[in-house]
Amino acid sequence: MNEFGYSGILKRRVLVVDDEEINRDMLGNILKDQYEVDFAENGKQAHEMLHARMTRYSLVLLDLLMPEMDGFELLGLIRTEEVTSNIPVIVMTSEKPAEVRSIKQGADDFITKPYDMPEVILARCERIIQLYEDKSIIRSAEKDELTDLYTREFFHEYIRQIDRNCSDLSMDAIVLNIEHFHMLNEMFGRQMGDNVLRKVAGMLSDMLADGVGIGCRPDSDYFYYYIEHRDSYDEVFATLSKELSGISKIPGVRIRLGVYQNVDKDISIEDRFDHAKYACDRIRGDYNRQIFFYNREENEKDLYHEQLINDIDAAIANKDLVVFYQPKYGIQCDEPELRSAEALIRWRHPKYGMISPGDFIPLFESNGLIQKLDHFVWEEAALQIRKWKDEFGCTIPVSVNVSRVDIYDSELENRLLKILKDNSLDAKDLMLEITESAYADDARGLTAVVESLQGRGFKIEMDDFGSGYSSLNMLTEIPIDVLKMDMKFIRNMNKDAKSHKLVELVIEIADYLGVPVVAEGVEDKNQVDQLKDMGCELIQGYYFSKPVPPEEFDKFIRAEIEKGKNTK
Amino acid sequence: MITVEGLRNFGADTDGALRRCMNNEEFYLKQVNKVLTGTSFDKLKEAVDNADFDAAFEASHALKGVCGNLGLTPLYEPIAEMTEHLRKKTERDYSSYIDVIAIQLDALNKM
Repeated sequence: MNEFGYSGILKRRVLVVDDEEINRDMLGNILKDQYEVDFAENGKQAHEMLHARMTRYSLVLLDLLMPEMDGFELLGLIRTEEVTSNIPVIVMTSEKPAEVRSIKQGADDFITKPYDMPEVILARCERIIQLYEDKSIIRSAEKDELTDLYTREFFHEYIRQIDRNCSDLSMDAIVLNIEHFHMLNEMFGRQMGDNVLRKVAGMLSDMLADGVGIGCRPDSDYFYYYIEHRDSYDEVFATLSKELSGISKIPGVRIRLGVYQNVDKDISIEDRFDHAKYACDRIRGDYNRQIFFYNREENEKDLYHEQLINDIDAAIANKDLVVFYQPKYGIQCDEPELRSAEALIRWRHPKYGMISPGDFIPLFESNGLIQKLDHFVWEEAALQIRKWKDEFGCTIPVSVNVSRVDIYDSELENRLLKILKDNSLDAKDLMLEITESAYADDARGLTAVVESLQGRGFKIEMDDFGSGYSSLNMLTEIPIDVLKMDMKFIRNMNKDAKSHKLVELVIEIADYLGVPVVAEGVEDKNQVDQLKDMGCELIQGYYFSKPVPPEEFDKFIRAEIEKGKNTK
Repeated sequence: MITVEGLRNFGADTDGALRRCMNNEEFYLKQVNKVLTGTSFDKLKEAVDNADFDAAFEASHALKGVCGNLGLTPLYEPIAEMTEHLRKKTERDYSSYIDVIAIQLDALNKM
């Protein structure tokens, strides 16, 4: 295996400090093939350069007699200031007494004037740099015996050196894992497993050896590499995979790669590899993806989602989750009439402020937590219906969402009935909205649940009709009580004749089935008038009101009462 | 025109100097020309004329380093000697050094 270090590729940076241009040029000419060389004309200028951000010098070649700030003074500063205290200094002098004085002040070596042969100068520079770099590596650190890769401590120290010496180089952090590696050990013995680890480490090191880079095995089947940036890892991956499949025929044993490209060097080494490992672990078990690139925005989104998932119980307990109500008005009369409301959840998060339902509902739908939210809303809505009954002597039926996961919960009916009983409500007071996508999953199961609920007196509303998997067939199979037209229909109804006609058709279908239509997302008078003409029964939307907290909703009820048209 | 051959005839250690210049003749000759067009000698002469021995030391020390590196032995020798005297702050007449150095510089300039 090649020594997977970074010598040869890496050019360390050397600072030549001399007030004589000719001397500077001659040294630069000697050093330029091996090093990046910067020049300073005096101690003061050199001091500034040594403290410049993002520049790390591996060596200072220092003349002693200079204007502004001489070599002795600069040497004193280099040795006492923390940033520079571990930079080796070679003093250039022709006098013995000066050698003694500078060695006392911390010079590491000398170059005499006239200069020695270039070979001697280069050898001295190399030796002293090597000495300093070795010194800063923890002595007890060692390589992983099995793979010859560095152990974690050693790896981190080398990364720090690479960062210092190649500050302008873009680096990638990569984490490789052999998924289900334990199966190799279990089925073929540990020796086989060890062979695979050795092989993978050897191949990776060989493949990545043509640039600056270093590798480590922090855990049994994980490999970490810190390497010069490359755009694609396809080839690396393909070669490794081919090799691995040659060794192991066990399905499921595979390689996955997490890559954090162009690492931010302002974050800790641990964080860089956390990002790469996160990317690597994200595709665990996802056989369509073998390489995953860390993406800061996606990661932040995931963290945000995780936070929301963690917070849901506290949100319910602390009443951070609140239920808003949006009124539904009947329009087939002289004046619009308050008929019912829809319960809509809102989250006042202590950290993120008001979170849009669009941010958390799909998330909770995807992991089943939506059930918790639904139960919360049902209970809150039932309490509210009771409160309105008690306060105003009227009933405002409230529609609540019943998610897919609720439908297949055998306790659904009992739970709903208990809520009604606890609040002395009638089944028709709490209307249940299901979405048409539930139908696509299991039409027969859904029909059975709906029929059973209707048998208990509940009214079933088909929500978002026309938004997704709509099937006209569904309307004949599921005995729904109300059809809620998706708001997209309304939004587009005046865009063209075809869209307008679609709205008419939905209303006609509902009419044919003998169920009322609720038009959602109605925003202006023009839409109201047209829908009224088409025979649409109910309207919900900003034209009447946005969803509001219950205390604000009270004013709609008061207004109805004043009109003398109590909703009974 | 200054050539490596000319410098060798002048008494320069061109072999050593060229090795220090990574055997790049053009680079070497360019550096030698810098000595001739530079102001270091003028500074040295002025310091000696003004009997400012600290400044004279600095100037001769600098010239010594450069001439040594470029193998300009006929210049280097008197300058090195002068530098040591100046370092010890020896009371003496330095103008004779200046004369010798001027003659050698003149010889180079005439190439």
